Amino acid sequence: MTANTGRTTSNWVSFNVHDSSGTLRTIPVDSINGVGLTYPELDLTAFQDKVRGVLPETPDCTITITGPFDTTTAQAVGTLSGSHTVLSAIAGGVTPLSLDVQMGIRHAWESGEPQFGLTASTPTGFLCLEYTVDPSAGKYSAKFRCNPGSDAPAWGTTAET
Amino acid sequence: MTRTVSKYMRVYAGGYDISGNTRSIGPLTWTFEEESMTCLNWPVAGTLPGKATMGCGTLNGLFDSTAITGLHALQSTSGVTRDVMIPIGMSAAPTYGNPVYMGQFPQTGYMVEPGEIMSTVSITFSSNDVSKGLKYDKPWGVLLHPLGAETEANTNETNVHNNGTGTTAGGYLMYQITAVAGTGNATISIDDSEDGETYGALSGATSGAIAHTAIPCAGIVQLATNATVKQYLRFQVALDTITSVTFALAFVRG
Repeated sequence: MTANTGRTTSNWVSFNVHDSSGTLRTIPVDSINGVGLTYPELDLTAFQDKVRGVLPETPDCTITITGPFDTTTAQAVGTLSGSHTVLSAIAGGVTPLSLDVQMGIRHAWESGEPQFGLTASTPTGFLCLEYTVDPSAGKYSAKFRCNPGSDAPAWGTTAET
Repeated sequence: MTRTVSKYMRVYAGGYDISGNTRSIGPLTWTFEEESMTCLNWPVAGTLPGKATMGCGTLNGLFDSTAITGLHALQSTSGVTRDVMIPIGMSAAPTYGNPVYMGQFPQTGYMVEPGEIMSTVSITFSSNDVSKGLKYDKPWGVLLHPLGAETEANTNETNVHNNGTGTTAGGYLMYQITAVAGTGNATISIDDSEDGETYGALSGATSGAIAHTAIPCAGIVQLATNATVKQYLRFQVALDTITSVTFALAFVRG
């Protein structure tokens, strides 16, 4: 199939992250927040300025996900691996991870459709800073932020590796 | 996919299976401190993980004063540290290899809530007891023995945990011994193996001899943080004049 453009639904969103051996895995999610960069605003307005003005500072990227607790063994990217299988082995680690949020457009993502993330190459990459499980709900939550000195993640149309 | 619901979760504390009076527990926290750092020429803010915070949250259960099994009888004293093990069965009762969350958490509250019909309790736990000196910042391990009875040494090559590779970062075990039959001592330990066929004792991974008079009991045993742990793990028991020991055993690799 060729890449689509236009609108889509969450059916076709895919969250992929390196496991502890540096292999991209697709894990089940039911929410993703923070897909993008946030720039703090620095107000540099002087008394004499007619209009209040700001400049953007260094951006931040904090991605939080939730999803079902799942212990499926590791599968090839594109097929769901267990969330617990992947996340329990990378939480607290200091090896930068590739991360790729793929927005398939009305079908499974393919090259040419939007994706956000980056490919790990020290110091570039994400770190997993939280993995919390709510066993009563059968769900987990996890948080990712960039490694110090990392390149900024960006929107693109080519899968991360 | 291998997903689950809460009815397949169990909660053990201090050598007691309190699942029968527990309605929920959690969240099972594993969070790392973070401090956003930005240098002049960085493209994006970054952080490294700091100290971990681990804790099993709040247990909600039924008020029950039954000796030995009731939450009121077992957990009404706060200000003490509990050895808590939470195996999560995957769409079935917990079994070999299932994920386990565990730690030594101070109980910081026990609140009875008389309801219109059923009276309930909320038991709050704090993060890890610092006095225990846990050397690992990981709370998730695997179940090497689901709660059940054993009467003899383990010589099986099945019901073992295959990690896929050996590690050299130590780890720690938690045992929960709920019952024994007979008198004498019981020892719970772990064997490891490189090939899944030839097993030997994993050095240091033993509860030591526990007298029947001390059971029920629970505890954590830590290995050196550079200890070699081979690829395959299995439970082991040693009984002298005890005829049966009922226990759960889990291990966290460093």
